[in-house]
Amino acid sequence: MKTWLRSAVIALASAAVTVAAIETMRAPATGQTAPAAVPRTAGGRPDLNGIWQAMGTAHWNLQDHEARPGPVLELGATFAIPAGQAVVEGRDIPYQGWAAAKQKENYENWLARDPEVKCYLPGLPRATYMPYPFQILQTAGNDILMAYEYASASRVIRMGPAEPPPVDSWMGQSTGRWEGDTLVVDSTGFNDQTWFDRAGNFHSEALHLVERFTLVHADLVDYRATIEDPKVFTRPWTIQVPLYRRRDANAQLLEFKCVEFVEELMYGHLVKRTGAETPFGAARLRWP
Amino acid sequence: MRARHRGAAVAIALALAASACQGASTGASADGWTPPRTPDGQPDLQGVWTNYTATPFEVPDERDDLALYSGDTDGTGRGTGPAAFLTDTTGRTLAKGRSLVVDPPNGRVPILPWAEEQRTFKLLHIQDHWEHHTPWERCITRGVPGGIFPTGYGSGYQILQGPGYVAIVYEMIHEARIIPTDSRPHVGSGIRLWNGDSVGRWDGDTLVVDIANYNDKGSIATNAATQRVRSIPQSQDLHVVERFTRVDENTIDYEATIEDPKVFTAPWRVAIPLHREPDYRIFEYACHEGNLAIPNTLSAGRALRVRPR
Repeated sequence: MKTWLRSAVIALASAAVTVAAIETMRAPATGQTAPAAVPRTAGGRPDLNGIWQAMGTAHWNLQDHEARPGPVLELGATFAIPAGQAVVEGRDIPYQGWAAAKQKENYENWLARDPEVKCYLPGLPRATYMPYPFQILQTAGNDILMAYEYASASRVIRMGPAEPPPVDSWMGQSTGRWEGDTLVVDSTGFNDQTWFDRAGNFHSEALHLVERFTLVHADLVDYRATIEDPKVFTRPWTIQVPLYRRRDANAQLLEFKCVEFVEELMYGHLVKRTGAETPFGAARLRWP
Repeated sequence: MRARHRGAAVAIALALAASACQGASTGASADGWTPPRTPDGQPDLQGVWTNYTATPFEVPDERDDLALYSGDTDGTGRGTGPAAFLTDTTGRTLAKGRSLVVDPPNGRVPILPWAEEQRTFKLLHIQDHWEHHTPWERCITRGVPGGIFPTGYGSGYQILQGPGYVAIVYEMIHEARIIPTDSRPHVGSGIRLWNGDSVGRWDGDTLVVDIANYNDKGSIATNAATQRVRSIPQSQDLHVVERFTRVDENTIDYEATIEDPKVFTAPWRVAIPLHREPDYRIFEYACHEGNLAIPNTLSAGRALRVRPR
């Protein structure tokens, strides 16, 4: 009886804590004023300056996924893929029928089709939750820079009304505005070449992305992105990925210029073989 | 008469170069123009800048093998890019000076013979391996300071400033170079980077950037307009100091002093004006994603190995 009571109290208390935590995360994203405690720029905006990184496994798969072995037999547990829960509100991505089939096909042909394998520009929102840091620079002028360590990708977010993009591109065209204390970034002008993760989740060139960056406290950003693409999905859908400040004393972006890591893969068949080029030449692909 | 004219022109150019250097080192222009400030008090360098110029990189020499440097070893006129660029996509009338290399005074980069030999070997063997191409053709980087050596296209640079940082967004190969301005120490010597590690400080109104920790896989210059210097290797001992001085509303005087005792007999210096270009639009340069230069060149090499000419 006593034990039962204690468990119930603990359960209730932790539920309350969880709800409170979720509420703190949720409240600011609606565009209301964040707690006054967040650091602010000289101009009075929440101070997003710094180096940020997502944790978790959204980069592997935005949806629920089990742990599974990595694709190269010899790498064993070291490059195996951890399990993770969906970051999609409502869990499932609302694909149209044909698109669900294409995603499945993408998943089964990951190495052959994922643009990340070739070190291509990551597109959005993928750049935000890749397993690499990115830096936000809020300027005194009218622009906000987001620079990503992966592939030296970056975007300059122009503050002001959204403009029609002159041309499609990998990183799209981003314009920003403040809704209360939330930075809202509206992006269009994407091509259809980028993916959302390593599980083949994809979009078309009709992608319209609305991202919300809300500083919850000095070291935590509540990041939400709403994805709208009438050619691929039945309705808009939203992901939520917390971004954490890199507090390492010497945190700074380094180079991840991955082109040199894919040249053998992409061009190796065109050069004179000496036998010395592929240290992993004997490695066997387990799948796909 | 002609020779005298040339002499006079050289003297004028030298005088101009000297005054430009003087301006840069004092961090203020001759007419006392002072740059606007950011809210935290930094000289404001923000905006979009371009560096089109008609000035040759080095002072030409009759022994220069221009066909080789531009990648046109057969002399067919099919080089790897525009070697001369007397046009400016922004429509400005370009000034033509003696050379962008202002030190040593002869306007020639003091390259050690082994480095020239390596360059020549690489340029003659681009069909064999991607590593014989410059990092630009490989879509890795145009380097630092090489990314600011003027070339024919994609020459937009956006400077952004926030508390403690100056960032330079390079249009060419989409680099975003973030420079801390707190004089922090460089990263550990175990970390070697294509573009080195940039640490900045303000010297009066001049942004001074110290760059070290280079890897030895890059080239000090990658574009055909740098002629003899294109594809010259950089070593891990490369050390560069850049100076950005806004001398008037529309001009930043950019200087880079390059020191690499394994590659050059002495330090050398380039001076390149950057022009403010508020209407210039920087487009995404997705280089690697559409790189056909490397596979086509290697494919041609493979064909020649199978059936030599």
